[in-house]
Amino acid sequence: MKTDVLAMLLVGGRGSRLHPITKNTAKPAVTFGGKYKLIDFVLSNLSNAGITTVGIITQYEPHALMKYIEHGASWDLDIADGGVQFLTPYTSADGDHWQKGTAHAIRQHLHFVEQHDPDYVLILSGDHVYKMDYKPLIKAHADSGCDMTIAAFKPHDDLSRYGILMTDKDRVIGFEEKPARPKSELASMGIYVFNRNVLDKILAASLSEDFDFGKDIIPKALNEDYLLNSYTFDGYFRDVGTIESLYQANMDLIRNPEYLKLSDYKTLPLYTKSTAFPPHHIEKRQTINDSLISDGCLIQGHVKNSVLSPNVTVGFEADIEDSIIFANVTIGDRCRLKNVIVLENTVIMKGMEIVYDKVHVIDNETLWALGDKHE
Amino acid sequence: MSDLLVVIDAANQGRFEKLTLHRMPGALPFAGRYRLIDFALSNVRNAGIINVAIFPFGNYRSLQDHIGSGKRWNLDRRRDGLFLLPPKNMMLPSDDMLTLQRMHEHIEYFKRSAQSYVLLTPANIVWNIDLNWALQQHIESGADISEIMQDKIRLQTYIIERQALLELILNYDMIPYKTLNDVFLKKNTIKTKAIKYHGYAKRINDPATYIRANLDMLDLSIRRKVFREKYPVYSKEKTAPPARYIGEPLLKNSLVSSGSMIQGNIENSIIGRDCVIKKGATIKNSVVMSNCVIEAGASITHAILDKAVIVKKNTQIEGNLHAPFVTQKEQILTDQSDIRILFAASEAHPYIKTGGLADVIGGLSKALSNKGVDISVIVPMYKPIKEKYHESYQYITSRTVVFDNDEHKIRLYAITRRKVRYYFIENFEYFERDNIYGYKDDCKRFAFFSLAITVFLDALRPFDLIHMHDWHVGLLPAIMKHYMARPPKTLLTIHNIDYQGKCDSNVLTALNMPKNKQTNINFLESGILNATKLSTVSATYRNELKYDYYGKNLTEPLQKRERDFHGVLNGLPKHFTPANDQVILSKYDKNDYFGKTENKLFLQKKMQLEMGLSKFVIGMVSRITEQKGFPLIIDMLPQVLKHHADIQFVLLGTGDKKLIEKLKAIETEYPTQVKLNLGYDATEPGYIYAGADLFLMPSRVEPCGLAQMIALKYGAIPLVRKTGGLADTITDFDPITKEGNGFTFFTYNKDTLLGRFLDAYHVFKHEKDDWHKLIKSAMKSDFSLETQAQKMLEIYLTTL
Repeated sequence: MKTDVLAMLLVGGRGSRLHPITKNTAKPAVTFGGKYKLIDFVLSNLSNAGITTVGIITQYEPHALMKYIEHGASWDLDIADGGVQFLTPYTSADGDHWQKGTAHAIRQHLHFVEQHDPDYVLILSGDHVYKMDYKPLIKAHADSGCDMTIAAFKPHDDLSRYGILMTDKDRVIGFEEKPARPKSELASMGIYVFNRNVLDKILAASLSEDFDFGKDIIPKALNEDYLLNSYTFDGYFRDVGTIESLYQANMDLIRNPEYLKLSDYKTLPLYTKSTAFPPHHIEKRQTINDSLISDGCLIQGHVKNSVLSPNVTVGFEADIEDSIIFANVTIGDRCRLKNVIVLENTVIMKGMEIVYDKVHVIDNETLWALGDKHE
Repeated sequence: MSDLLVVIDAANQGRFEKLTLHRMPGALPFAGRYRLIDFALSNVRNAGIINVAIFPFGNYRSLQDHIGSGKRWNLDRRRDGLFLLPPKNMMLPSDDMLTLQRMHEHIEYFKRSAQSYVLLTPANIVWNIDLNWALQQHIESGADISEIMQDKIRLQTYIIERQALLELILNYDMIPYKTLNDVFLKKNTIKTKAIKYHGYAKRINDPATYIRANLDMLDLSIRRKVFREKYPVYSKEKTAPPARYIGEPLLKNSLVSSGSMIQGNIENSIIGRDCVIKKGATIKNSVVMSNCVIEAGASITHAILDKAVIVKKNTQIEGNLHAPFVTQKEQILTDQSDIRILFAASEAHPYIKTGGLADVIGGLSKALSNKGVDISVIVPMYKPIKEKYHESYQYITSRTVVFDNDEHKIRLYAITRRKVRYYFIENFEYFERDNIYGYKDDCKRFAFFSLAITVFLDALRPFDLIHMHDWHVGLLPAIMKHYMARPPKTLLTIHNIDYQGKCDSNVLTALNMPKNKQTNINFLESGILNATKLSTVSATYRNELKYDYYGKNLTEPLQKRERDFHGVLNGLPKHFTPANDQVILSKYDKNDYFGKTENKLFLQKKMQLEMGLSKFVIGMVSRITEQKGFPLIIDMLPQVLKHHADIQFVLLGTGDKKLIEKLKAIETEYPTQVKLNLGYDATEPGYIYAGADLFLMPSRVEPCGLAQMIALKYGAIPLVRKTGGLADTITDFDPITKEGNGFTFFTYNKDTLLGRFLDAYHVFKHEKDDWHKLIKSAMKSDFSLETQAQKMLEIYLTTL
């Protein structure tokens, strides 16, 4: 069966700067906005664009992610022709195929691309926060007649974190990965559209064992006079690579709900896998200030300026402020939390005060450490 | 894998008023994010059951939309899976329970399935039960059929071997049972078992049980029995972000669903998905379904707001726990603190009365006025009114109208009585006659009345709505449309479909209105087609009118207006009570009804029957007509009187001569057991209500009925046919739970009536405790004018 557009989704990232949040999960499985995982964004974008053949390339701690995505039913991606398929490292006659670098990972799975015989291959990452319609991107690429299109945005923060594109109109004429002195304010989103034959050719020619799109393939393509197009996305886009940026992007949901428009799910809905919890329960007489609260929570204390994931219990007279609480956390009576991210399944004993000026990550282990220090 | 196949009975309609206009009870949203059927389906999933059949009735779109392929409950399977088995015969009215006949329509399903046992359960129970445990209980008991009970509540959930069920289904037309409930009650021939379930379970049948079960979920100890960690309740996947709190809303003990934006204050309530509660709004003790918007300053107490309702600024909505305020889906509620209503009718108590209509007008107008509604009533100035009240009313204004090619002088008078304003329209030619009805030109007279109302409207402060009663004012909407640029909204209440006002279409010429080619006109039909909204006097009667048998020639227009057609039960005025009845010997009330025995002896003495408390006294107060079921009574009576000398029959009434002759013949044959009082004196039948053990009312048709409500108040146990208002007021006595306030039967024939009558006789003679329970629950039954007024107000608000 022939497919127009095939998506290859890279979800192998360790997200080491997000440690300890990524201690046991790949970065795309990190909780966001209470009830979402980072990967919901890209899967929902694909579903909304009608791109339903998706290869998910995993390597680092894949199990949580595989269990979460299952057959992709929650994103309407469980269809007979195509659907989601997990592409794991494998062994063949020519040896073990461990993935080293983003482009290298795609090359390992060119067989999968061949099976579906697409015109275009859309390469995506599973760990970005953005709602984007891929259809205009694909169309712009097709109309441009170029070999490859790089989606780009204008970052609001330090440009030297990104791969910077120099362009002439939409044509890419230069590229620098994490330059100290950026020559443009247009940064690559790590989203690429390739003509399928170009992808085959350019990857086959890359013989080394470790290569990335940003670091290796784009400069190589420019060198070899391939035609590179750029597509500027002007919506909200965050690469939440650090704890601070993850925290700020969560807080944006409270302070600037118009950025992601989570409540607008007529145009670009954000799907996530449903939990089987009843609606949350505010039990004691209480004001709840400027917060997001998910299903299954039991709130007996005070919550202010915080994001709560499903099934969180906040005990009597507890006080939660400026914090992000992941799923299944129990916060004891009279606890005080400020500026913390509390990871899944953490149990905070009665009366604990964990108050910081700057955001900190808390889980059962850090609590043990805290306890030791107190003794 | 489980050896059970599950049949979900989603055919039960319940008494949900507007809530089930667009959906079946099983599709009713519950606890914010669920639908009632989720509980049955989740019990199925958690028990590893893979074969499920759902029997829906009516509009099951929303149910189908919700369950989809059943994937959420692991029912999208290659083998077995989920089956939706709709009725083949849409004309069979739905019973309280899935019938064997309905199952026979899909006999193939039962034949093909491989499971050994069948569990049949309704779609409208909130519970989280281990169905395999229930099956185990059934198998261990060795019973033929088991029913799951929680304490004394029957959950209408049965377990039976598939082969045994197949046998019953195949013979559905040969056996005397219609449902598994009937089978279960036949203890003598088969072995039954009541499986005692100790978890939480609530059957949701009406708005009151609906709101109570919802609010139960606010009690943590109860909620944890329903939403169990190891046995989750699954629902359709939805896309809504976490609920967002903005500013500093004050909350207390409430469930809030995803997607909602909360700025206002909420207490003891359930908020569905994607609701917007604006700053300064207050919600208490209510269930708000998804997509509602509550604007600033609105206050909502004890209400059920259906999906996508908008409550505008400063609107006050108030119901009570027994009769919550119920809205329609997508209704817009505005501030109606100064709503003004005009009742247009041919009679009104206390000024003029020939029958029950006048009582309804008098009672309802007063009850509405007590609710703060500004209410007026307009009737013709009949001769008796003029004679009796000419010193009390005041002159308002006069007009001249052209009618039937003549000029007519009309004058308007008014009296204010207990805050209700009564208007009388005076016209010598049409209204000043000795009688109220019964003239050849009645149609013309009441067409003239409607025209006169239209003419006077501009002399009065504008009304928000004109509430019309029966055919007499049926032409009013058409006349107002013809003569007024912006006619007011109208609500037509049909009290009795038998009186329609059919006459020659010359009436239209008299009104100076075009008559097209029609030769006849039907006042009621015109009202049905032109009124903004319609109502009738009970929910069941409303549904019955869809069928030719009841709706007759008006079935089609009524079906056409179905979405604007409501059923509101008439209320019983407070003065009907044995605690304050001057004509009975000994007053009594529900707390101490010993006086009833004295009244029984008094009745026997008065009617010259042999006195004795062990006699079974059947009472009737009724017009003697075919419609009231007299053919059945005449067939049945000789049979029971012959075999049971201790049965006595007392009848007060008058009517059809042929039927009376037959009754007299029975009286002659059984002079010591039958006493007829054929001088109908409707005002003082108290001695019969107070003295009778059983009150017989086997009506073939009964739009609402008042007598059965009076009988309940007096502790005379009604035996009624399950039709119209009788079905909405009398709950059949259940020999297992001892619940119910009377006896009912459905099939209109002598044998069914006789069967139920003998059941009642048996309980009276041999189960004294049960009979007292019946008397107690009968006397506790409450069908008040206040509830009727509140439900009317709800319709007014949907109309404006």
